[in-house]
Amino acid sequence: MMVELLLLIQRRSSIVFRVTFILSVVLRFMRLAYLIGYGVEIEKSPVNSASLSMLSWPKPATWPSIPPDSSAEVMAKEKTILQAKAREKLFDIQRKPLPLEPSSLLREANRRRAFLSVGNLSELYDSVDGSGLGAHSKLSPNKSSSNLMTRTMSGPATSETSLPVDRPMRLSEIHVAAEHALKQTISDPDFMTSLSSPEEFESRYMELTKGAADNYHRSWWKRHGVVLDGEIAAIFFKHGNYDLAAKSYEKVCALYSAEGWEELLADVLPDLAECQKILKDEAGYLASCVKLLSLESSLFSSKERQAFQSEVVRLAHSEMRHPVPLDVSSLITFAGNPAPPLELCDGDPGTLSVAVWSGFPDDITLESLSLRLSAFSSADEGLKAIRSTDARVLVPGRNIITFDIPPQKPGSYVLGALTGQIGKLSFRSHGFSQDGPVDTDEFMSFEKPTRPVLKVRKPRALVDITPAVSSALLMNELQWIGLIVKPIDYSLKGGILHIDAGAELKIEESQMIEIESYRSDGEHSSPIDASKVLSRPTDTGRVEKVPIENGKIKLPDWASDVTTLVWFPVRAINDTVPKGTSPASPQKHSIVDGMRMIALKLEFGAFHNQIFERTIAVHFTNPFHVSTRVVDKCNDGTLLLQVILHSEVKATLHVKDVSLDLQAGFEHLGKGDGRPTSSLFPLVIAPSSKAGILFVIRLSGTKDLDELEQADSMLHIKYGISGDRATGAHSPVPVKPDDSEELLFKISLKLKRPVLDPCLAVGFLPFSTDCLRVGQLVNMKWRVERLKDLEEASLSDDEILYQVDANPQNWMVAGRKSGHISFSEAQGSRIEIAVTCVPLVSGYVHPPQLGLPDVGDANISCNPAGPHLVCVLPPTLSTSYCIPA
Amino acid sequence: MASTACFVIVSKNDIPIYEAEVGSAPKKEDLAYHHQFILHAALDVVQDLAWTTNAMFLRSVDRFNDLVVSVYVTAGHTRFMLLHDSRSEDGIKSFFQEIFLNPLYLPGSRIASSHFDTKVRALARKYL
Repeated sequence: MMVELLLLIQRRSSIVFRVTFILSVVLRFMRLAYLIGYGVEIEKSPVNSASLSMLSWPKPATWPSIPPDSSAEVMAKEKTILQAKAREKLFDIQRKPLPLEPSSLLREANRRRAFLSVGNLSELYDSVDGSGLGAHSKLSPNKSSSNLMTRTMSGPATSETSLPVDRPMRLSEIHVAAEHALKQTISDPDFMTSLSSPEEFESRYMELTKGAADNYHRSWWKRHGVVLDGEIAAIFFKHGNYDLAAKSYEKVCALYSAEGWEELLADVLPDLAECQKILKDEAGYLASCVKLLSLESSLFSSKERQAFQSEVVRLAHSEMRHPVPLDVSSLITFAGNPAPPLELCDGDPGTLSVAVWSGFPDDITLESLSLRLSAFSSADEGLKAIRSTDARVLVPGRNIITFDIPPQKPGSYVLGALTGQIGKLSFRSHGFSQDGPVDTDEFMSFEKPTRPVLKVRKPRALVDITPAVSSALLMNELQWIGLIVKPIDYSLKGGILHIDAGAELKIEESQMIEIESYRSDGEHSSPIDASKVLSRPTDTGRVEKVPIENGKIKLPDWASDVTTLVWFPVRAINDTVPKGTSPASPQKHSIVDGMRMIALKLEFGAFHNQIFERTIAVHFTNPFHVSTRVVDKCNDGTLLLQVILHSEVKATLHVKDVSLDLQAGFEHLGKGDGRPTSSLFPLVIAPSSKAGILFVIRLSGTKDLDELEQADSMLHIKYGISGDRATGAHSPVPVKPDDSEELLFKISLKLKRPVLDPCLAVGFLPFSTDCLRVGQLVNMKWRVERLKDLEEASLSDDEILYQVDANPQNWMVAGRKSGHISFSEAQGSRIEIAVTCVPLVSGYVHPPQLGLPDVGDANISCNPAGPHLVCVLPPTLSTSYCIPA
Repeated sequence: MASTACFVIVSKNDIPIYEAEVGSAPKKEDLAYHHQFILHAALDVVQDLAWTTNAMFLRSVDRFNDLVVSVYVTAGHTRFMLLHDSRSEDGIKSFFQEIFLNPLYLPGSRIASSHFDTKVRALARKYL
């Protein structure tokens, strides 16, 4: 039968058809071999088991019986059966051996011997142990077998048996009987050879299988081909041909792995691993062990998986000749937090926690573990790996690992790859895991969309410090300066404020700094009337006093997240004496004089790496600006001097006393103590308003002109101030407990003597006639009068030179043009000067002028004396000049 | 109900995305291996046959002693494969068609839905 089939195969053209036939041929060949007792040579692989366990036994009418004198053969077969043992698999993988029988051969053969009774068979089963050929998968219970027995108990009894009638055949006897029966049937010598010994069987089997495999591969039925490759590999393995076995196994594993049929892979991969271990292919063995671990955990028992892991760990810690990276992408997976991404400010470090899932059956120690983040928008592979703290142990399942992230550039980051080291081998995992059990129907994809796990904000303002008060503070007094420190969505915990005062500004470090919580202007109404007593409602918040050292203030913890006001005392120093203004000397007021700069630096941040710097300008001013003017001048030379005090501050000023030290050339009248005329103190001046004080003074005589020019008067003002430090100037901070609240302000005033100081008056006396004619004599008279006594006047001589100036073309002066006059020294004395002139032209002409050349113009009142133009009539008609010829 | 039946859905790149034993016989470990093997090997047959016909239901493509492999190929080249002992073809065809109309999944991934599993078993009881 077999031979005919083989011939048939060769004649058929279709490869597939041929191959299918080959397979069926091989199966029947194996079945025959099994019957003979060569079953031990047949690998218990799934394909063999699948094929043979479904191929029914031959069904002769009666089973062939044992030939006579075959006891030696029987013994030989018994030995073979007993010596057979299952191949021990690597990793102690225990699997139920797969059956190669559709049903028990023992039972089947004996069933076909007619003479047996039920009772005998049951005896047989009781006495027979499981033979060494492997457990029969279908060990039917006695009950069902006896049922079968009763049904099939038929058939003619055979007389050929040499056995005792009531004894069933043993397995070895069955094998011998089958062999003899076949020998009588098979005619082909080749075929017979192949069944003559296990080795022959095996080589023929190998030949057929190789042929079939090649054909399958050529016809692109690679899965069928690969199955047979597995059988071939098993045979190679049995003969110690590990190299070829490994090659064949690799083909099988590659296909199953590529197509993801894990159960099939789980069957073959341990065999490949065994070959690799024997061949000392460390890299391959390692990869196989890792792959075994990566398969579904239900395919292996936990003990077996632990064995895989211990092999991996052993290799990782050993000195591998060629260390290879581990591909643990399916064993170590990671996922970010389901929470919103970690948000950091630019320049801040932080900690990120990542869930790492370990698929290893046992705890595994990692020598190092690093996480790579990649920027979301750029294609750049990513940042430097962030190393976790040192060696750690991953437990099976979920582990939470925290990574310290150094400051990063602004942007969004997603999880990149996880790298690390197990033993001496490095690994890299890209695998995202689904954090948590997947129960929902919606979520089915492996590809989790990448979600940012870290967001570093662009650099932005984290804090703002502004001055609390924009109006000016008192110069030269100890004043509070307020700073509003406002955190912008960032904690200032542990912040240190450095205050560096600029030139001419001094921070009073003996005082404590006051820090209070701040309410914005909408809630807190600042009192406009500075006379209201300063009171802060207690419900605005805390006030704390902290010391300042070397310009450093440590912010208290409660101030980290709220806007606070920081008050610190400073004194602006200005040593120059301020000057008042008068109409004669207007002031050039420069705002820069009162400005002082303060450099602020706040060091804060979770790791003290954020710095905020700002320079603020603070204005200082004198409390008063003083201007003077002469209100009135009396006939006796008394001057009413009005001193106007302008309030420069946004606070109420209480003027308690004022005194004026006059400069040389002036003196007080009245009490002479330098106080103003009327007592109107205390004088309250509202913010930015002014008040006037009157002094009665007069000019005093002095000969020294230089002294007159350079002298200044000094005004002393004793005053007090009531203001709110949140608004502007305020009462100075008392440094010592007994500091009085009375303040002194000095300002210099420059009073200028009048420009005009006449001591002589010159007047023009009217003409005697009311019309002047050309050629007519006219008397021009001037009168000079002393306005002051000679001692008081700045003139030293009592003789005054006079001179008449007249245009010679218009006037003829008859008489003396110049001369000296002397007259009494007393005030009010007068003298007349008369000069006779003749006008020469008619019209409006300048008359002659009297001048006093030695006397300065300032000392002469009414200069020039006399009319500007006079009208000169033409001469009268004169007959004496007309002569008719 | 078939005593032996194993249902596998194989995606177009030959990766199994769903498997279920839907037979009424008690499950045996070794038989499970057989079924995987047979179905995997049958893929070779299917890939030849699938291009020769434009029908979706390929009926029985392979026999393995008593067991028959029936295959239903979708337009996206996803294969529904059923390994069973001889059974009526109509029942199997209806079974496949009902499954086809009940996808609930994203292409390429494994089907892990318990609803789908329940549905498949219910349909198997109904038609096989």
